[in-house]
Amino acid sequence: MEKLLELKNVHVSFHTYGGEVKAVRGVSFHLEKGESLAIVGESGSGKSVTSKAVMRLLPNKTSEIKEGQILFEGKDLARLPEKGMEKIRGKEISMIFQDPMTSLNPTMTIGKQIMEGLRKHQNMSKSEAQERAINLLKLVGIPNPEIRIKEYPHQFSGGMRQRVVIAIALACNPKVLIADEPTTALDVTIQAQILDLMRDLQKKTGTAIILITHDLGVVANLAQRVAVMYGGTIVETGTVDEIFYNPKHPYTWGLLSSMPKLNAESKELLAIPGTPPDLLNPPKGCPFAARCPHAMQVCLNHMPESTKVSSTHQAACWLLDERAPKVEPPEAALVGGAR
Amino acid sequence: MATMEREKLLEVKNLKKHFKVDRKAVLKAVDDVSFDIYKGETLGLVGESGCGKSTTGRTIIRLYEATDGEVLYEGKNVHGKKSARELKEFNRKMQMIFQDPYASLNPRMTVKDIIAEGIDIHRLAKNSKERNERVYELLETVGLNKDHANRYPHEFSGGQRQRIGIARALAVDPDFIIADEPISALDVSIQAQVVNLLMKLQKERGLTYLFIAHDLSMVKHISDRVGVMYLGNLVELAGSDELYEEPLHPYTQALLSAIPVPDPEVERSRERIILEGDLPSPINPPSGCRFRTRCPHAMDVCARVNPKWQEAREGHWVACHLYDQEFNKEGK
Repeated sequence: MEKLLELKNVHVSFHTYGGEVKAVRGVSFHLEKGESLAIVGESGSGKSVTSKAVMRLLPNKTSEIKEGQILFEGKDLARLPEKGMEKIRGKEISMIFQDPMTSLNPTMTIGKQIMEGLRKHQNMSKSEAQERAINLLKLVGIPNPEIRIKEYPHQFSGGMRQRVVIAIALACNPKVLIADEPTTALDVTIQAQILDLMRDLQKKTGTAIILITHDLGVVANLAQRVAVMYGGTIVETGTVDEIFYNPKHPYTWGLLSSMPKLNAESKELLAIPGTPPDLLNPPKGCPFAARCPHAMQVCLNHMPESTKVSSTHQAACWLLDERAPKVEPPEAALVGGAR
Repeated sequence: MATMEREKLLEVKNLKKHFKVDRKAVLKAVDDVSFDIYKGETLGLVGESGCGKSTTGRTIIRLYEATDGEVLYEGKNVHGKKSARELKEFNRKMQMIFQDPYASLNPRMTVKDIIAEGIDIHRLAKNSKERNERVYELLETVGLNKDHANRYPHEFSGGQRQRIGIARALAVDPDFIIADEPISALDVSIQAQVVNLLMKLQKERGLTYLFIAHDLSMVKHISDRVGVMYLGNLVELAGSDELYEEPLHPYTQALLSAIPVPDPEVERSRERIILEGDLPSPINPPSGCRFRTRCPHAMDVCARVNPKWQEAREGHWVACHLYDQEFNKEGK
């Protein structure tokens, strides 16, 4: 498969009064053409910052990409001047945000907001753009698009607004779509509609999707590959089956076992004790060591290298070192087929 | 279910809460809801945003005045005219934990004063030494320590703040706690911590919970019985295992099938019931059954007649015409 987007050892820091917050610390992953990759993690794990770094949407004054490369079709986006970035943002790579309430402009009609990108990137005439906007609304399942394009965001419900946001993101046929918690603000029945729509659209358009979420259910539903983030680093990557049925990192075990399973009888959830690390003073060793039940001396002092489990599966954990003791994942972390 | 012999702690009878939106329009947030809560159990209340689950909780505890119907706590009406003393007694027995741990703690008060506010009001401590001791004990109960007592809320993470909220609710030794989306604002790993804490406290202190949430899998985990709400109505109520294994109401069925399961194999193979359209406005709800506009099984009668709240099986209540005697004869 062809690598469409590749991140190599990306570091992102924020400069605050308290000092330098190292939000992303050496993240590497790639995205293939037409696939969907999920980045999973808790708040503060750096998943949103990573995606904003790709889009170069981080505030200029207070943050910087300190190290690393973001390669998109051979170009390094991390070093691209703003002018060049404008040609990529919205055209080649576009983004959907969590809250459809705030990501639309309340003073512009829906039609105008969809046409904005078309007019800028594809030099369409007004009538061409309008026709395309109507088709896009039809594509994302909004009834009466001819009338609806003249309406404003407040006239749409939450689910409908998220459909509009998706239509805007897909307007220029981007090669990559970054969806940052696209369904978190929506109710379950509406979430099911939107997930269905996204899967459908990916089949039709072949756009590669980076899905950022904390919901493992959504991951299982939509993703082909998964990267698990913790404390600004990627701790495990693999295909969706490898992550759910053969997880190797204790943090992934913790995530899987702290979710109640609908079919399991009610027993105590296995919670991960403690809280995520403070990235103002990130730990020297493995970021998860302080909360890990299997932490060893080496974990506290040395960052584990990413170890290959299979050709598609990697985890950064000292337990995978040949000198480490053998540890089995807790029973609560076993999902369906792994039993 | 064994719940039948148990003692009723709370009875909600035909509870209504209507809000006046403007001169003509009335928003019926809760419209004729009845259920009981037994001593020592956890009743879960689920539904999508705007279905009235939070309003139900807030009306039970009298944060809202009920429009109609009654709430009986140990046989006594919570609403209606009361002396200050009677009211205080209710307030001690019933406590609430709120959704947003950032908005529900006063940022200008120390943790100690937040927790002790109820102790002061109800004069549960004789002197400041006893007051301090109680606060320290509560902090330890919820998994914090006494060094935290003199700090302010902004110094804590979301999960820790929710623990402070729980300690505040426990301070007055309540019997009944309404938890309104207590874990929605927290991360997955922290959610499990808070849910485990709530379950541990229930075991130790014999508490009764009304657990309001939209996360169905968490509700199933913590609850003995679960009620499902849609647009101000209770549509189904049953033991939590029974509800999840054999949902009767079409809305419950759709809701359960919409939850994404963290298991790729299951996700690939299962058939979803995807509901068309959006929630209708509660200001002008559909006639008859409120779910009929999105219901895959809607019949003529659904538009005309409000479905009865009936016990379709023992301990399993549902409001749907599919389970009426006369329609059942024609076959589903």
